Amino acid sequence: MLQLTIQIAVNGLTFGLIYILMALGFTLIFGIMRVVNFAHGEFYMVGAIGILLLFGTLGFNYYLSIVFAVLCVGLLGVIVERVLLRGFVGRELNSMIMALAVAITLQALAAILFGPQEQSVARPVTGVLQVAGVFIPRDRIVVGVIALAVLIAFYLFLRYARYGLAMRAVAQDPAAAALQGIRPGFIYSLAFGVGSLLAGLAGALMAPVYTISPFMGDVPMMMAFIVVILGGLGSIPGAVVGGLLLGFVESLFSTFFGSTIATMIAFGMVVLILLFKPSGLMGRAQ
Amino acid sequence: MSLIKLENLCVDYGPISAVKTLNAEIMNGSITCILGANGAGKSSTLGCLAGLVPVSSGRIIYDGQDVTSHQAHQMVSAGVTLAPEGRRLFPGLTVYENLRLGAYTGHAREGFQEQLEAVFGYFPRLRERRDQLAGSLSGGEQQMCAIGRALMSRPRVLLLDEPSLGLAPKIIVEVAKIIRSINKTGITVLIVEQNAKLALQLSSYGYVLETGSLALEGPCKDLLHDDHIRQAYLGGTAA
Repeated sequence: MLQLTIQIAVNGLTFGLIYILMALGFTLIFGIMRVVNFAHGEFYMVGAIGILLLFGTLGFNYYLSIVFAVLCVGLLGVIVERVLLRGFVGRELNSMIMALAVAITLQALAAILFGPQEQSVARPVTGVLQVAGVFIPRDRIVVGVIALAVLIAFYLFLRYARYGLAMRAVAQDPAAAALQGIRPGFIYSLAFGVGSLLAGLAGALMAPVYTISPFMGDVPMMMAFIVVILGGLGSIPGAVVGGLLLGFVESLFSTFFGSTIATMIAFGMVVLILLFKPSGLMGRAQ
Repeated sequence: MSLIKLENLCVDYGPISAVKTLNAEIMNGSITCILGANGAGKSSTLGCLAGLVPVSSGRIIYDGQDVTSHQAHQMVSAGVTLAPEGRRLFPGLTVYENLRLGAYTGHAREGFQEQLEAVFGYFPRLRERRDQLAGSLSGGEQQMCAIGRALMSRPRVLLLDEPSLGLAPKIIVEVAKIIRSINKTGITVLIVEQNAKLALQLSSYGYVLETGSLALEGPCKDLLHDDHIRQAYLGGTAA
């Protein structure tokens, strides 16, 4: 029983961290630009395809491949923001449709370049770690440690760095931020770049765990959406709380009742939150 | 010597014109005020100077340069900083973080510690409240934090939009005293106020706006004794 509990907790934590990576970027972009980024799942997909290319096909070191793939996804995010979304900042409906168009285009592009079929890469880390009678796959530990390290770095950046502070300022009051000398356009690019980078990292980390396809971003995008609704749209702590909550609920229910029930429970939570606390667990009431 | 010159400044919001061909000059090192009722165009004028409100026509000359099309961040870098109406602090950030954001631009970042000490010198209360969220401060403390944040940018020109709004009389006196001592350090102050008495006592020169147009201008000691001003803005009867 204890072993099962620990197993569920480890799985919940791993999934939770990946969900947080996805949801943080999504909520950051919304908080700062008021853009509902429906292309977020595609940045996840591009991150995974980066691993397929660099690690799978070209045979680079896995960790170096992650760094390079993730930086490329961040750069792609900056370009998408600057060229396609900048004109729609603050206009939620228009920007949402533009983001949707970006998503479909990126999916189609990936399908043309890499084929629509599911592909996989070899697991870079294999074997299990046995601690107190509990078996933990080593690759889960790698995923967990990298995700956690990046999340802590992101937190420190937002909390203490000059640009992190500027991001929080723009999210709270763009006009007042401009009066401090902050260039809003630069912060939009930075936020979108960092958000995409986090999604790309989630994709790169999950590439060896799941299969890779142009449409693999749909599910994590949905999960990011659930997390953000649970935690409160635009709330950074909300994304963390929502991500962990979803991770543990999924892990718990899929262990006992299967993944269909787990997904149903996840959406059930969204329905309850929307009914009784529409601003989310940590969100500010509008 | 004039530091800022407004030449035929016009501001339109769609079909509504908020400021109509305004001409004004702000002397280097002075305290100048703009008076007027609600909707007279005072805040729009300050907004233009801060680079936040687009100028429809006319020119703004600052330190001999045409800055009409400058944006907010460019004006801050050039040395013109606005403490906006309603303070507009970042409520979810601490007092320290608000002040740090005030020193966001390049030249302000270099002297950050020094300037922070200067601001804490003007407003000792802010030092005590340093790690408190700005949203949890009292009205007076928020105004102090807003002026402090503006000072953190090491401005040459400080634009104050309704600094007395919503403050208790005792706090207003305190804020007025500090504005005077800020001016003594060589910072030019342009103040927009509905509290005409306060503004005229603080300033050396005043402009009076009525529905977007300049109604009257002159040295404040003359304006204080002007019959029209006394009746319309000071609540007194003609002497």
